[in-house]
Amino acid sequence: MHVIVATDGSTQSLAAARHLRSFADPQKITTISVVAVIRPLASVAFADEISEAEPPSPGEGAGSFREAAQGALDAVSAVFEHWGPTIDKQIRSGSPAAEIIKVAREYDAGLVVVAAGGRGISDAILVGSTAQRVQHYAPCPVLVVRPAPRPRKATRGKA
Amino acid sequence: MTNVRSSPSTPKRELVAGTSTSTVEDVDGGLKRSITGRQLFFYTLGDVLGSGIYVLIGLVAAAVGGAFWIAFAIGVTIAAITGAAYAELVTKYPQAAGAALYVNKAFGSTALTFLTTVSFLAASFAATGSLATGFSSYFATLWAGPPALLVSLVFLFALVVVNFIGITESVVMNMLMTFVEVAGLLIVMVIGIWYIAQGEADFGVLTDISVSGNPALAVLAGIAFSFFAMTGFENTANVAEETIDPHRSFPRSLVGGMVVAGVVYVLVSMAAALTVPTDQLANSDAALLEVVRQGILPFSTDVMTTLFSIIALIAITNTTLVTVVTQPRILYGMAKEDVVPGVFAKIHATRRSPWVGLLFSAAVVAALLITGSILIEAGGGIDLVNRLALVTVVFLLAIYALVIVACLKLRGQDEDERTFRANTPLLIVGLVGNLAILGFSIYDDPTSLIWCAGLIAVGVVLFLIEYAAGSRNRSQGAARGDAGNASRKGA
Repeated sequence: MHVIVATDGSTQSLAAARHLRSFADPQKITTISVVAVIRPLASVAFADEISEAEPPSPGEGAGSFREAAQGALDAVSAVFEHWGPTIDKQIRSGSPAAEIIKVAREYDAGLVVVAAGGRGISDAILVGSTAQRVQHYAPCPVLVVRPAPRPRKATRGKA
Repeated sequence: MTNVRSSPSTPKRELVAGTSTSTVEDVDGGLKRSITGRQLFFYTLGDVLGSGIYVLIGLVAAAVGGAFWIAFAIGVTIAAITGAAYAELVTKYPQAAGAALYVNKAFGSTALTFLTTVSFLAASFAATGSLATGFSSYFATLWAGPPALLVSLVFLFALVVVNFIGITESVVMNMLMTFVEVAGLLIVMVIGIWYIAQGEADFGVLTDISVSGNPALAVLAGIAFSFFAMTGFENTANVAEETIDPHRSFPRSLVGGMVVAGVVYVLVSMAAALTVPTDQLANSDAALLEVVRQGILPFSTDVMTTLFSIIALIAITNTTLVTVVTQPRILYGMAKEDVVPGVFAKIHATRRSPWVGLLFSAAVVAALLITGSILIEAGGGIDLVNRLALVTVVFLLAIYALVIVACLKLRGQDEDERTFRANTPLLIVGLVGNLAILGFSIYDDPTSLIWCAGLIAVGVVLFLIEYAAGSRNRSQGAARGDAGNASRKGA
C-alpha cells in the first residue's frame, strides 16, 4: 500500500506522522510519500516549525520557502526512518488540498494522512479546510489526526 | 523571542537524505512548481496596472499639463529597465526576498540590507494607505453615504481578514481581476478613439506643457508620479520559486508585462488628455472617472460611471491585496533572518498565516489613515497619506537604483548558461534615469528628506530593540549574519 503523509510544517502534521507509525503495520506499507505543499500567493508560502535546522543566515537561503519545505519534509520523514517502507519526499506548489489529492491519484495511494488543523476555538467544531477538502475528494481512505484534547474540565473543577 | 532553532543541526538529516528518492534538484523530480509563464505575465500586469493609474493620473496631469503622456512614457521606460535588472537577479537567485536579498548578495552589509527592507516596507505601507484612500474616493461615487475614512478602514480590515483566513491560492483569480482591469482601461481608450473619430479632438493638447517654470523639470515631476504608477512589479519576484522554468519565463513575463502595462498607460493618458480638460483631471479625486463622465460614448453616463467605478474598485482591490500579502511576508523573512523581532515569524496554529505581521501592518496603515484624515479635518493643508506615498517614491527610487547597481556588481557571479542577461547600456540608462528622478524628487521637495529620515528612524528603533533583545538568546558562537553554517547547507 502506498501511503501519503502531508505536512504543512506544523507540529500537528508531525504528530499525525507519529500517529501513523504508532499503529500501522510497516509490512503492509510499501512506500510512504511525504508531501509538502507551498502556497505561492500566501503571505508565508511555507512555514517550517518542526525541523531542527538552523535558520538560514542572511543572504544564503534568505526567503527560500522551498528550503523551509525541504526542512519540514526531512523532519517528518525522520519519523519513518528504519521502519521499513521506502520514503519518498515531494515538494509541490499550489493549493494544498488539490495537490495532496493529485499526489494520491498519481500514486494510486491506499491512505492519506493529514493533521486536522489547530486547536483552540476550532478544537471541537472545525477541521482545517485542507483536511476537510481532502476528506471529501480523496480517491482513498483518509486518516485525519486530531490534536489530543486538553483536560479542560479537570482544571476548571479544581479552580 | 521564538528562536527555537538555535541548536546545531543533527546528523539525522544526513541519514534521511540517504533514503530519499528525490532531492532539491527539481525539473522532473517530485518538486512541482505551479505558476506558468502566462500566469506570471498576468500577475505582473495586474500588479502594475491596478496600482497607479486609477489614482495617480490626476496628479501627473497637474504636474505637467496636457503633455503628461510623455511623463508616463519615460517613467514607464525607466521602470521597465529596472524590471529587467530584477529579472536578471531573479534568474540568479530565485527566492522570495527580493531587493533585500540582492543588496545583501552584492554588498554583504547587514545595515544596508536592513535599511533597504525598512525603506521598502515604509513605501509599501504608504502605498497601501494611498490605495485605500483611492478605494474610498471611487466608492463614494457609488454610494456617498459612509464617511471616506470608514470605507478605507473597512476595506483594509476586509483584506486583512481574507489574508488571515488564507488567501485564495489560485492565480486564476488574479488573472480574472486583471482582465477586468484591462477592460476598464480599454473603455477609456475606446472613448478616446471615438472622440477622435468624431473629429473633436484637439491634438494640440498633447504637446501642451502648461506649467510655470522649466518644462524639463515639470516633465521630471510627472515622471516621478508616473513611476509610482508602475511600482508593484517587484512583488512578482516573490513567486520566483514557484514559477515553472523561471529562467525562461521570468524575464519574458516580468519585462513583457511591464511593457504592455506601459503601452496601456501611455494610450490611456493620451485618451484622458484629449477628452477631459487638464485642470479638471488635476482637480479630480478619481481622475479616470472624468473621462467616462464626459458622455462621449452613446451610453447613459450613469451606467458607465457605475460600471467604471466597480472596475476601478476591483483593480485597486487586486493591487492592495498584493501589498497586504507582501508586507507580512517581508516582516516574516526579516524575522527569520534575525533582523526584526522574532515575534513577526509567528504563524497562526490553525490558519498558518503570519498573524502578528498582518496585525502590525494593518495597525500601521490604519494609524496612517486615521492620522491623515484628522490632519485634513484640522485643516493643516497636509494630505498625509498621499504625501507619504509621494515621499516614499524616494525610497523606492533609491532601492531600484541600488538593485541595478547590485545587478551590475554581481555580473560574473553565480551565473550559468540559463541566466538572463539584461542589456548593460540599458541598465546604465535606467540607473541614470532612476538617479535623475531621485535627485529631482529631493530637489523639488527637500522636506521629503525629513519625512524619509523620520521613517528610517522608526526602523532603526526596531533594529536596536531587536539587537538588544536578540543577542541574548542567540546560540554561542553564532554571530549575527554568520555565514558559516556549512552543516546546514550540506544537509
